[in-house]
Parts: sequence; C-alpha cells; structure tokens
Amino acid sequence: MTREGRFDRRAFLSSLTAGLATARYASARGQPPLRIGLTPVFLDNEWQVLESLRAHVVTVTGQHVEFVQRRTYQEVVALLLLGELDTAWLCGYPLMQRPDRLTALAIPVWRGRPLYQAYIIAAENRDAETLSDLKGDIHAYSDPDSNSGHLVTVAELLAQNERPEAFFDTSFFTFGHRNVVRAVAQRLAGSGSVDGYIYEALSTAEPDLVDRTRVIWRSDWHGFPPVVIATERKDSMATAALSRALFEIEATEPGREALRQLQLDGFAHPRPDSFDSIAALMARVADRG
Amino acid sequence: MASVASSLTLPLSLRVPLIVAGLMVLMGLIASQLVMSSLVRSQERQLSDLARSDFVTLSTTIAPLIQRQDIWEMYDVLDRATQRTGGFSAISASLVDARGRVIVSTRPEQYPVGAHGVDLIASSVPVTELSYDNAQDVISLRDVIVYQGRPIAQFIIEFDASALAAERRQTWFWLIAGNAAATGLLALGGYFMIRRVLAPIGRLSRAMSVPGGPPQAFAPEMIPHRDRELANLYETYNSMTRAVEARSLTERRLAERERFVSLGRLSGTLAHEINNPLGGLLNSVDTIKRFPERSDVVLKSADILERGLKQMRDVARSTLSTYRNDLATLPLTTADFEDLYLLIRPEIERKAQELHWNIDVDDADCAALPAGPVRQVLLNLLLNASGASDAGTELGLRIGVEAQTLHLTVWDSGPGLPPHVRPRLLSDAPVDPGGGLGLRLVRDLVTSLKGDIRLSRTENGYSAIIVTLPLSPAEEKSDDA
Repeated sequence: MTREGRFDRRAFLSSLTAGLATARYASARGQPPLRIGLTPVFLDNEWQVLESLRAHVVTVTGQHVEFVQRRTYQEVVALLLLGELDTAWLCGYPLMQRPDRLTALAIPVWRGRPLYQAYIIAAENRDAETLSDLKGDIHAYSDPDSNSGHLVTVAELLAQNERPEAFFDTSFFTFGHRNVVRAVAQRLAGSGSVDGYIYEALSTAEPDLVDRTRVIWRSDWHGFPPVVIATERKDSMATAALSRALFEIEATEPGREALRQLQLDGFAHPRPDSFDSIAALMARVADRG
Repeated sequence: MASVASSLTLPLSLRVPLIVAGLMVLMGLIASQLVMSSLVRSQERQLSDLARSDFVTLSTTIAPLIQRQDIWEMYDVLDRATQRTGGFSAISASLVDARGRVIVSTRPEQYPVGAHGVDLIASSVPVTELSYDNAQDVISLRDVIVYQGRPIAQFIIEFDASALAAERRQTWFWLIAGNAAATGLLALGGYFMIRRVLAPIGRLSRAMSVPGGPPQAFAPEMIPHRDRELANLYETYNSMTRAVEARSLTERRLAERERFVSLGRLSGTLAHEINNPLGGLLNSVDTIKRFPERSDVVLKSADILERGLKQMRDVARSTLSTYRNDLATLPLTTADFEDLYLLIRPEIERKAQELHWNIDVDDADCAALPAGPVRQVLLNLLLNASGASDAGTELGLRIGVEAQTLHLTVWDSGPGLPPHVRPRLLSDAPVDPGGGLGLRLVRDLVTSLKGDIRLSRTENGYSAIIVTLPLSPAEEKSDDA
C-alpha cells in the first residue's frame, strides 16, 4: 500500500505535467482528444492506472486523452462502431463477434505471453473440486460478451454435455470481473466465471477479497483481451498516435508505472491466430444453437 | 395493635417534613416521566423519518433493477447502503418477491437468491407501524416497493438502533440521576425548612410529655413572639402549667390533711379505748387504798393497773407512730402491722364487724419499703372498707411476699368499692368535688412506691383491693440519685 501511495503522488505530478503539456499541444495543433473506451470488466476503482495511462499517452502523442467508460462491452463496441471512440480495450470475444468491422491494434503481454486463462472460482470453504460439483449453484458471470467471464464457461459446459442454462440454478451478470470475485467472496453467488489475469492481479491488490475464494477450474490459454479499433479507422492519425503510445509504453515513466499497476509486461502486435481459440469456443456454442 | 401503631407513628415534626420530601420525590418522578414520554415521541418521529427516508431513496433506485432482475446491481446498491455507519443505519437489506422468494439479500449465506423469505417478512414490522416499543438494538422494518403502479417486492431493512437504545438508556440514567439529585436536594431543603418551622411545636410537645414530672412552663424569652399563633399557643400552655401546678399544690395540701382526717375518724374510738380501762384502773387504785395491808389484793390490783396502762400506752404509741414524720424513711417492720391492728381494731369492734388479720411476712421481707407510706395506705384502705360496710361484715388484711413483690390484700364481705369512687383509686383522673381524698392519697402513695393497685375477689368471693409493691426501693433510690 505504501508503494501505491508513493506512486499516487508521482502519478498525480505526472498527470499534472502531462495535462499542462496536452493543453499546450492541443491549443497549438487544434487536435481533438484521443477517446479511449473502457468497461468496468477490466477497470474498477483503478483511477491511478487511468492517470498513468493518460500521462503516458499525452507525453508520447501530445494529445489530450478522454477515457469513456461504459458498463458493458456491448455499449463500448457500439460507440466504437459509431466512431465515438478511437479505440477500446475490449475482450477477444466481442472482437471475434465483429471480425469484419473490428481490428486488434495491440495485445497486452502478461507474464511473458499475450495469453490468459479463464477461471471458475468458488468460496474458499466450498466443498467442490470440479466444475460438475458446482451444478445447481447460483453462478456469477461477468459480461455476456466476455470470453473468460461467460463464453469459456458456457463452452466448457457444452463440452461436458451439460446444458448451460440448466446447469446452474440461477445465474446473473455482474459486469465486472472484480464484482464476480466480490459476489463469490460475499457468498451472493456459489461460484463465478472470472478472468484469470484479473483474478491474479486482485490477489496482489486485494488479497483479503481473493483469499475468501479459490479456483475450481482453469481454462486453456486464450488470446489476451486486446486493444481494438474500428477497422475503417485503421489508417487514421488517432490510430497511429495510439499505436505509438502503446508500443512505446515503456518509454515514459508514467507508461512504465501503468504497466506495473496493470501487472503487464507490455504490448505486442497481434498475430492472425491470436484469437482462434476464442473463435473455436464461439463455434462450439453456435453449433449447439 | 393500636399501641404498636401509635409507637410506629412518627412525630409531627418529622412526619410533615417527610411528607413534603415525599411529595417532591413524586413530583420529580412525574416530571421524569413527562420528559421521557416526550423524548420517546421525539425519537419515534426521528426513527420513522429516517426509516421512511431510507426506504424511499433505496426503493426509487432499486425498483427498475428489480424490474430488470439485475441481481448484482440490486446487491451492490443494498450492500453499499448497508455499509454506512451512523446513529440509525441499515445493517442488512433484503428483497422478497410476490411468491415469497428472496430476490436478493445482503445476508446471502442466510438468505440466498431464490430461498424462502417468508420469515424475513414475518420477523419485520411495516415501516408505518414503527414504534419505540420495538426499538431494540436491531429493528426489522418492511415496505412494499411499487413500480409503475404495481407492487413488485417486499423490501425488508434491518436497522441498527443500538445507538438510539444506548441514547435512551443514557437519557434515562441522566434524567433519573439529575432528577434524583435535584429532588433529593429539594426534599432535604424542604425537610429542614419544615422542621425549622415546626420546631416550636416540637418543643411544646416535648415539654408537655416530660416523663416523671409536671409539665414545665416556658421562660418568656423562649416564646416565639414573632409568630402570633405560636406565641398564643405557648402562653396558653404556660397558663395550663400554672393551673396544673396550683392544682397539684392543692392536692398535696389536701392529702396532708387526709392523714389527720383519718386520725380524726379514729379519735372517738381511741378516746373510748383509753376511757374503757380507766374505770377498772381507778377501781384498782381504790382497792389498793382500801386494802394496803393485803399484799395479794395489792399485787392483783397492781397487775390490773399495769395491764390497763400498757394497753393505753400501746394505743397512744400507735397513734403517735402513725403521725411521726420520720416514719417516711424508717424501714417497714412487722411491728408496723401490729400498730395498725391496734389502731383499727377498736373501730372495727365499735362497728360490730369482724376483723381477720393474716400477716405472712417477716421484717427482712419488707425492710426495703418505707414504713410511713405503707401504714398510711393500709390504714386508709381498712378505714374505707370498715366505713363502707355494715355491722356484722367481715373484713381483713392479708400480707404476703411473692416474686420480690409485697402483696397487700384488703378485703371485706360488703358490697365492695362503689364504681363512682373507683377512679380515685385506679386512675389519675381529676377527683370529683365533695368526696374525700383518702383513696386518691392511697393511689399517689402506691404510685410513688412504683406499685400497682387492682380490684379482685378473694377465694370466698369477697371483694378485695390488692396493692403490689416491688421490693427493690434501694435500686430505685440509687437510680434517683
């Protein structure tokens, strides 16, 4: 916590400096701010991360940054497609739902790889070892358009010849991976589907919360939730600026601080097959009808 | 019982201040009750307003979420609402649908989603019926959430009222402590003030009830002249004490005379007693003159003379003994009873009555008592019995000792002591004018000897007056000293 507190002050000063720089650049060049879409699925109560990111982007691009938060992926995707956003940090699942209109700009690198897992978690004292032990549960999903927070669990149930709509007694969406962990920790839900990366990050940031849960099941590795743009804006100046900011994130102190806070190593260029595993899950669900 | 009750009754000078103090305590209690009921009403309004406010605010937020069945958002809203702290804050909240199923609860372990929630409703009271009586540490209230004109859920909130309950207890404590202190001070002040006001009455009461002596008049400087009523009371009391003293003096003089009255009553008999042997004595003297040479006649006449003179000497000695002043201090002996016999016998014989004399004591038994008062008591009682009886009546004296008490019984076969004169002997009531003071003198003397008088019957059924005198005057004297 002391470390975070120290960082907060630095982030604030960086932000202040960047803010002043942005104002100077913006007024000089007359450029609109960069609009970045986010959902609470990724970020909740993490304003320090946003401030670090803002400071970094301003420093690198000289453009002001405007973060736009919406509750669901669906809303963010809609804004992205409408051109209301220049980019958004989404999940592989909504990206693969609109492969024709959305393009992955960058993919975060976590623990050396651009991959992550989905976890199914339950209460720490729960007498359950496998997914089938959770039958009849009250289950917390994250977002209907989340890969780890919904698609992976549904696809796995189908793989186990279960009916996802009947496997759990009740299920609901919390629209946030942290909320899934809260719901399980506070016993509102018996189990939950959560992003493995978020879960691991929370175990460091909020160990008291995570310690009240445990992982029952881990999925295969999937492409890490990417930073997405609308395909038609692939060649825009904003995209170029954002691309520079992302791939040069280690060039500035706020950028490095943002990576530390996010527990990421950096950003990589996505490969064509980065999200094939998610596409396969989608196909499995679609095949079931 | 009456005597016990009277002994338990507090004196006026204590009773009135205590009543005043008690009334002040009562006033304090009533005032406390009024303040508390006002506080209760105020807290009820406060609780009701707070609870309604929370219900309205949360219901407005949560109704659309219920409609959308957004479990997490409902939980999040309720969870945040129950994280607040304060004097009267929600500690848990639950929603129950029309079928009695839990929609969501901030106590999910106890009330999971979809569980039966009927007991949640049963254990709560409608928010409109909130009263202070059910304001325990936790109050469970419920209300119906209406959305777009349709009731969609029962909303149950548990409020933490421990701070209010503690405040109520604290208020009670300070109110009672404060009122008790104020009432105590006022009561104490009232007690001493009223005691001060009633102090002259207390002095008067104490002066009137001094044991073993006549009431004493107040000196002029002790009379509270500033208070006219009290001054009148004191002066009236002083007048009364002077009247009592004058009466007492008169009675003492009359009693003194009574000793001589009894002698007067005996004088004729005594004269006769002396006169009777005189004829025989003079005859003996003539005989001696006529026959001086006959020694046998002279000796016989001298013997007659001696006996006659001895009789006259005994009568004279007895009479004198009765009226000697030093008898009051000389110890009683059996010789005093013999003297009495000599004194009374002629009167009895004159009235052709029969005297029974039964003395069953010795000198050691009665040495503790003074001779004079006892002789006077017996003489008066015997003369009274004889005087009130006709010829042929039997009367007697019986003296004995029992349990360190000298029992003197004077009895007669006559009609006994008439009722109208009994108070003279048996009480301290004023003596009716016209009557003699002999019996009252008996009472006074017996009282002075710490004795007792009662009327009784002998085994023959004759009326008797029994005087009992304790044989411990030596201790009394030492006490008096």
